[in-house]
Amino acid sequence: MRRLGDRVGMAWAWGSSLCLLLGLGTLLVVLVTRGAPAVGPGLLFGDTAPGDAVLGRAPVFDGIWPALMGTLALVALACLVAVPIGVASGIYLAEIAPRRRRALLDIGVDMLAGVPSVVMGLFGFGLILLMRRTLAPSATTGLWLSALCIALLVLPYLIRTTQTALDALPESLRLVGPGLGFTRWQNLRHVLLPAAGRGILGGVMLAVGRAAEDTAVIMLTGAVWNAGLPAGLGEKFEALSFRIYVLAAEYRDDMQLAQGFACAFALLLLTCGLLASAHLLQRSLERRWKA
Amino acid sequence: MSCVRTTSLLLVVLALAACGSDKRAGPAPSPDLLPFEGLEGTLDIAGGTAHIPVMEEAAKRIMTAFPRIRITVGGGGSGIGIQKVGEGLIDIGNAGRPVKAKEQAKFELTSYPFAIDGVAVVVHPSNSVRELTTQQARDAFAGKITNWKDLGGADAEIHLYGRDEASGTRAVFWKKLLAKGAVATSANVVKSNGAMKTAISKDEHGLGYMSIGRIDDTLAAVGLDGVAATQETATDGTYVVTRRLFMNTRGKPSELAQAFIDYIGSPEGRAIVAAQGYIPLATP
Amino acid sequence: MSPTSGRTRGERTAELLLAGAAAVSAAAVLGILVFLAILAAPAWQGAAHVFTWDWRPFHGHYGILPMVVGSLLLALTALLLALPVAIGIAAFAHGLGPRRLARIVLAAVHAMTGIPTIVYAFVSAMLLVPFVREVFVHGSGYSLLSAALVLSVLILPTIVLVVHAHWHSMGKELERTCAALGIPRGRAVLRVLLPLSRRGLLTAAVLGFARALGDTMIALLLSGNAAQVPGSALDGFRTLTAHIALVVATDTQDAAYASIFAAGLILLLVAAAASLTARRLGAGNGRTEAARAAPR
Repeated sequence: MRRLGDRVGMAWAWGSSLCLLLGLGTLLVVLVTRGAPAVGPGLLFGDTAPGDAVLGRAPVFDGIWPALMGTLALVALACLVAVPIGVASGIYLAEIAPRRRRALLDIGVDMLAGVPSVVMGLFGFGLILLMRRTLAPSATTGLWLSALCIALLVLPYLIRTTQTALDALPESLRLVGPGLGFTRWQNLRHVLLPAAGRGILGGVMLAVGRAAEDTAVIMLTGAVWNAGLPAGLGEKFEALSFRIYVLAAEYRDDMQLAQGFACAFALLLLTCGLLASAHLLQRSLERRWKA
Repeated sequence: MSCVRTTSLLLVVLALAACGSDKRAGPAPSPDLLPFEGLEGTLDIAGGTAHIPVMEEAAKRIMTAFPRIRITVGGGGSGIGIQKVGEGLIDIGNAGRPVKAKEQAKFELTSYPFAIDGVAVVVHPSNSVRELTTQQARDAFAGKITNWKDLGGADAEIHLYGRDEASGTRAVFWKKLLAKGAVATSANVVKSNGAMKTAISKDEHGLGYMSIGRIDDTLAAVGLDGVAATQETATDGTYVVTRRLFMNTRGKPSELAQAFIDYIGSPEGRAIVAAQGYIPLATP
Repeated sequence: MSPTSGRTRGERTAELLLAGAAAVSAAAVLGILVFLAILAAPAWQGAAHVFTWDWRPFHGHYGILPMVVGSLLLALTALLLALPVAIGIAAFAHGLGPRRLARIVLAAVHAMTGIPTIVYAFVSAMLLVPFVREVFVHGSGYSLLSAALVLSVLILPTIVLVVHAHWHSMGKELERTCAALGIPRGRAVLRVLLPLSRRGLLTAAVLGFARALGDTMIALLLSGNAAQVPGSALDGFRTLTAHIALVVATDTQDAAYASIFAAGLILLLVAAAASLTARRLGAGNGRTEAARAAPR
């Protein structure tokens, strides 16, 4: 009887794991084979000459270049806001905050991490309506609003990874500074932060990946189907994830359908690439201090 | 070494391509585009999803001729078009229905009708049902008739598709065909005319409704009470489930918005409207 | 100045800045909560309308209870589908499988956290929905079944990683004890680790549930968005998240509009409750894992 239980458990574990690998493999194969017809010079730029498109001299239609640029602009802006705040909060939580305050802030960060992205988008949309009725009657949804909401969304990732990177440092390292007569601050700046740098960078990568994949936030705060290259903070923009969403519901021909798969594959490469680099950075940090 | 050469060659080609565009390759802009000469800035358009192909084609031509003008086209539905233009979030809000009195009181919009369009019941091309009575259509969308065989088709369950709350297509269809009657809550909800087309063209047993202008051979329109659902019957008044397509602005339009609205009403603009399957109106 | 108590003005400013940043992060949560509560106020005043079972805005019915049920039903079904598989995978990675393969499986699970939800939603809308429609006689394919299947894949890495982190934290000691008693590694996982980890499993389940509840794109593209309580796994339904995405377009003064802020507030409160529960259960063991696995 016990033997049987063991065997069932074993079979279940093997089955689940093989299913997982099989499923992931299928997903990749599907994306590549179905997206392949769209791969070509037209995928990025449509009918527009590549030189003109890259330099922004001529608008691109039917290509994913503006969406790719839109996603990059969005991610860069969001990180510009989130990285300083997130990393600083993480340092504060890990090194400075008194115990009780730390516990309280930890709960806050947990809750922020729990905000569903569509709710974050709704928050942004409501914010605009409120601003228009009060402070800024001409405020409108656009790149800046999406970037702000995405920044809030990825903030917890940055805080947590910074905190974890600092917490993971060995106690011996913490004693180096005071031993040399450093103040707590000097120790933090010259010993601990440089040591935790890779882990923090890993957190940034993680945040970038998360910022690039989100759809629900930007759908409510300024992404549109057709806008050309991102042109300014207050302007509407295109994004890869939003393009995939629209194509899913209303592709007009086989070429657009294939483009949807190609777009999905491109986004997948982007986010998984970032995730992998984050992972490698964090691993190298761990190894360094465990050795 | 060869790597450097390839790179520099690539750069030269890029530079040449970039230079070429200064002279704006291709023919000179048509006379209807001339009012845009000297204008620049951004024009945000959103709303009715029946309008999107027309808006996109117009935007494409204007932006190709005058790269300093930036036109963004979003969807969302007529409700979003009216709400967003009323709130001042966009410059032109499209709607596939007239502005309601309640909305007008709040937003003070100016409407520019530019095309006539019918709303047709649609099915998968393999479906043999191509003709319904008004009563049959009402019963089917209310969920009282649930099998195609009761409508003269194969023995299969009807898969209902409807539109979201913001849809002007839905508002017109509900008022003019369903006489504001019940609609089954079991109906799938899709967010645009394009999405309806995709959904029905993939579902053999689907039943939905959409803008006639966007129907092509991937799905079939169903006639009502012996009248075929085409833009011709919609124009001559024999097909009754029709509406006009509007652009709306809040108060007086900006120079760029005005030029765009004029362009849609120009011969070239009307040709675009016709090419996308709608019946252009004389002047917007 | 002694090095322990002495702080220059610069250091004090820096410390203040850091504290300020932390305050901004914490204020963001409160801000969102209060803000949504205010915007949802019209809905509370008309609570009799909003908390009903009937969503037919053109007839003046603005009930969002079907969406509440839809959200809960979907998240629970996805969790029930994902949990056993996730435990299987975690066990495989933790001793039941050969070491090298286990490493590959774990890497794959990590990679899965990077797959965007819109990619799952897109591929499934194209391939799974027609498949479900063909295979089963009833329904259009946009259904609880389709959405829950895909959503369970989405939350799988969350659960696996939390369970894995929990087992990892239970430590080498337990493993050594088992080894000393002559229990083979695989057997130790099944007979010792698994029964001892109720807490970890519960944490994983709560986090997975929250992640499922907060997802928008999968529900929006696969559920059919019919505003009804599904009668079977093959019926269409609508979640709160999809409801927000669909209705945000309507008239700003409408009761329909207030209903989406109410929906947002409900989602936020459930998510907050989930993260508090997970914290109390001791999610601190796998903090990064938990952050990575947070609902989107």
